[in-house]
Amino acid sequence: MTEGRNPILTYLQAISDGLRSEMREDERVLLMGQDIGVFGGAFKVTDGFIEEFGVDRVMDTPLAESGIVGTAVGAAVVGMRPVCEMQFADFVSCGFDQIINVAAKMLYRQGLPVNITVRLPSGGGFSGGPFHSQNPEAWFMHSPGIKVVAPSTAQDAKGMIIASIRDPNPVVFMEHKNLYRRIKGEVPEGSYETPFKARVAREGSDLVVITYGAMVHRALEATEDLDDAEIMVLDLRTLKPLDEQAILAAVRTCSKVVIVDEANETCAAGAQVAALIAEHGFEDLDGPIVRVASPDVPIPFSPPLEEAVLPSVDRVREACRQLLEY
Amino acid sequence: MPQMGVSVVEGTVIEWRKRLGDWVESDETIAEVSTDKIDTEIPSPAAGRVVEILVDVGTTVEVGVTLARIATDARPGEPHDAERDAPQAQVAAAPAQEPAAAASPPKAPAAPAQPPRNRRYSPVVQRIAREHDVDPNEVQGSGRDGRVSKRDVMAYVENQRLSAPAQNDPPLHIESPYRADPDPGTGDGPYVPPEGRPLSRMRQLIGQNMHRSQQTAATCTTWIEVDVSRIELARKQKNITAMPLIARCAIGALVEFPQLNAWLEDDIHTVHEQVNLGVAVTLGDDDGLIVPVVRSAQDLSPEGLARRIRELARRARARQLTPDEVQGATFTLTNPGQFGSIMATPVISQPQVAILDVEAITKRPVVVTDAFGADAIAIRPMVILGLSWDHRALDGALAARFLANIKQRVESYES
Amino acid sequence: MATSSTAARTGPNTPSDSLPAHLTLDDRVGLLRAMLLMRTLEERAMNLYRQGKVPGSFYDGFGQEAVSVGAAWAMAAVDRLCVLHRDLGAHLVRGVQPDRILSQYMGREDGITGGRDGNVHFGDYRTGCVGMVSMLPDMMLVATGMAMAFKLRGEQRCALTCFGDGSTSRGDFHEAMNWAGVQKLPVIFVLENNQFAYSTPTHQQYAVNPIERAQTYGFPGVSVDGNDAEAMFEATSVARVRALEGGGPTLIEAVTMRMHGHAAHDDMKYVPKALFEEWRKKDPIDRQSARVAAHGVDVEALKTEVRDQVEQAAATALAGPMPEPESATERVFHPRDADEILLEDGAAPWSGFVTSSEGHRSR
Repeated sequence: MTEGRNPILTYLQAISDGLRSEMREDERVLLMGQDIGVFGGAFKVTDGFIEEFGVDRVMDTPLAESGIVGTAVGAAVVGMRPVCEMQFADFVSCGFDQIINVAAKMLYRQGLPVNITVRLPSGGGFSGGPFHSQNPEAWFMHSPGIKVVAPSTAQDAKGMIIASIRDPNPVVFMEHKNLYRRIKGEVPEGSYETPFKARVAREGSDLVVITYGAMVHRALEATEDLDDAEIMVLDLRTLKPLDEQAILAAVRTCSKVVIVDEANETCAAGAQVAALIAEHGFEDLDGPIVRVASPDVPIPFSPPLEEAVLPSVDRVREACRQLLEY
Repeated sequence: MPQMGVSVVEGTVIEWRKRLGDWVESDETIAEVSTDKIDTEIPSPAAGRVVEILVDVGTTVEVGVTLARIATDARPGEPHDAERDAPQAQVAAAPAQEPAAAASPPKAPAAPAQPPRNRRYSPVVQRIAREHDVDPNEVQGSGRDGRVSKRDVMAYVENQRLSAPAQNDPPLHIESPYRADPDPGTGDGPYVPPEGRPLSRMRQLIGQNMHRSQQTAATCTTWIEVDVSRIELARKQKNITAMPLIARCAIGALVEFPQLNAWLEDDIHTVHEQVNLGVAVTLGDDDGLIVPVVRSAQDLSPEGLARRIRELARRARARQLTPDEVQGATFTLTNPGQFGSIMATPVISQPQVAILDVEAITKRPVVVTDAFGADAIAIRPMVILGLSWDHRALDGALAARFLANIKQRVESYES
Repeated sequence: MATSSTAARTGPNTPSDSLPAHLTLDDRVGLLRAMLLMRTLEERAMNLYRQGKVPGSFYDGFGQEAVSVGAAWAMAAVDRLCVLHRDLGAHLVRGVQPDRILSQYMGREDGITGGRDGNVHFGDYRTGCVGMVSMLPDMMLVATGMAMAFKLRGEQRCALTCFGDGSTSRGDFHEAMNWAGVQKLPVIFVLENNQFAYSTPTHQQYAVNPIERAQTYGFPGVSVDGNDAEAMFEATSVARVRALEGGGPTLIEAVTMRMHGHAAHDDMKYVPKALFEEWRKKDPIDRQSARVAAHGVDVEALKTEVRDQVEQAAATALAGPMPEPESATERVFHPRDADEILLEDGAAPWSGFVTSSEGHRSR
């Protein structure tokens, strides 16, 4: 740590930092997941936690996603603040029912808020194959009663995990596992919250790329030096609720929009963003709303196949170039 | 040049809606012309292609003079290479006109010596064009296939601002005399005046009318203060503005003092029996005013007056008034008080002998005397009525009595 | 799999005959009253349903009243419950007002969910009950989670969850049983075996009775006469003591019979008549009435009292407004700055909670 500067942490370390900070501050916080205790987590996010907080607060659960979420709901309504980890985002489907039917609807129906956080290590790009590479955020955006966030930087990852735990509603936290060790950044020490709002990753006025998660970095790379254009990159950070004001302001300034989803194209988060812009930003558009997303196929395993599916830097750049020329 | 109105002898072309080489449908608006009575859209007498434009914008010609030629044997969609030396009309890019401007190209290719292009404008380009009153047809497109981009239209707007070409203002009938004078310039050193521009046709017309009136009539102005409490009450009950109520009172006074409901032309004094009330209406532009006439206003209740005035105003703003609707006034009412001014010296509209000006209603402390003769201060809504009158036709005493009559009617008004 | 290093909290396996689980006459009457209230309320609601005042579907627990009433009677104020659509008696024992239940059925503003959910899909958090979802065994996990929190915090409380024979076929049954067993949690699983899941009889639901499978999860399964409110109370009490002493979960099979259709629209043609008649004779209210009548209690007077209570509740509920349409989109998220809302304690009418005896103290 350099005096006067924040320490540099990886995205993963930032999440750990956030969890640790909140565990220390609030004894009601309870971590639940497979292999998170003794083993320190499949990705080592909770490495060292069991030593500091004990087995009662860093719980190695049975292999039961529905069980993890369902028991978390029970614990939450009697005053605990459970943070569930699904080992891979892909496995959340096994606990889907508990999230969308039990947790999400409890407040609306019974007036009883459910303060749980569900961490989903999501995303691909490392030959994870169809069951270790998914981006299932759209399933939860579509279910009323759930908030969905997706930080892309180390600083935001820490601030948002803390904010998610403190939020009294069910929050699905998309942590992109391909960013775990690839992304580093300054992360303030101590406890802080990042608001559930979008962030301008780079200012610009000729075109805006709207995206989130790992694709933020890809978008920045793709538009760094593109035909002398000044291209804004808007990091959504929060998918439900969407920061409509920030999105429409970016459209007003830039008038040309490229939306990038790493998730499969149909009904991805970007589709909702596109609909929002088409309805409320129509008079600010100087060209069609362009989407770049993975095609509707399971994410393949072999590198050339996976690279062909996930939006590449070149694909994003080309989409921007075409739209600039329109 | 068509004859619009019995007494019209000439007209001025204000704007060409079709350019050389454009296709025009029968009855489609081809131009807008102005007389000293009114401005009107001219429907095309036939369908065909505009092959010659003979009268430029801003030129005044006599009734009967040919304005343009239309080739009725032409077919739409034919290419042509007519020259574009006819002056360009500045199309006010009102939203209603946008689809017309964009829809006509499929029938007639746009400019000569340019490849035909499907001119569509993105939503933001349309919005910016609309906000800045710019014709997107004028903008060079730098996008693919000559598409006009946001950047293009913004650059055009910036260019316009810098070069500021002469504007063709929409014509008026009578100008409002109440516009504020421009600020005098202040500065050090020898004053370098900016380049002057000739007044617009409209301005000239109005100026002539004003000047003629001032030179003809012996104009004097008398004022009176009126308590409009009862009017305020009545207007709320009837859900109308104060204006028609005051108008009703003025008309009642005119019936009692018909000498003010008169014309004076070359020493011929005509006192009218019916009250044709001219009511000044703003056209919604910065300085646009027209005075449609409510015929036989003496027969109308305040509600009827309100309705008639509203309808005339609506038609005025939509440029739908006929020439007969703006002539024949025997007395004029003007009401520029919406901006807060309290007194004015209105100019009489020839050949009438008087004009009544109603300024802003403001709450003031006034002295009221009760039945026992005790004085007290009360807050009352007050208005100053100003009457400009022609001393050739009447004296100040009559003017004052007329005003007093209005005052008495207003202050004792009962629905 | 890495085994949990949670220190096992072992306690004595308390034999049932040393339990001071006695019921006073007041308790016995209370049990009957609660069952009568449940049945009378449901009959009144059925009428309203037939009059078109109850939208959607209508479910009742006719013939099963003893299960939820007996089990709830054993729950302390600090305990928490997850009960289902044939367990209205549990809500009544915990203190939910009858008029609010009828309002709930009729979708009125004063219903417990304010019209957001229907029929018995409610849980008044002020009575310590979590409202059910339609995916019934889901609630087993929620109850397990509550028990997990109690254990982690070292609290002398337990959770109770009711579910049916059909629920045992779903994965959440297994996950809950397994989780509760491996963590030795203070949760009581009440399996309401009413012989049918809609039209599916139990022999098409499972190959081996879940009671026999409980031990494979690490805890006992006991079978109880579900039509005997006092037996239900007894079994639940025992399970509760066990749980509080660190003995872990218990599976109680309440053997009963669903005497009406799955819902009001079901005519139960698939139930053999003989079976039906056999169970008719074991009606829980008849049995409890006989019990207390033998001690001189005027059952008819009690029935009249309950009927009047229900009539009054109906009048109140019928006078209440429907919810405002604009409110339909409210309360999806709880604001950050709003007060925390948690489950609260419910009523615990058992006489044993009033006297301070070990392990049965109410808070």
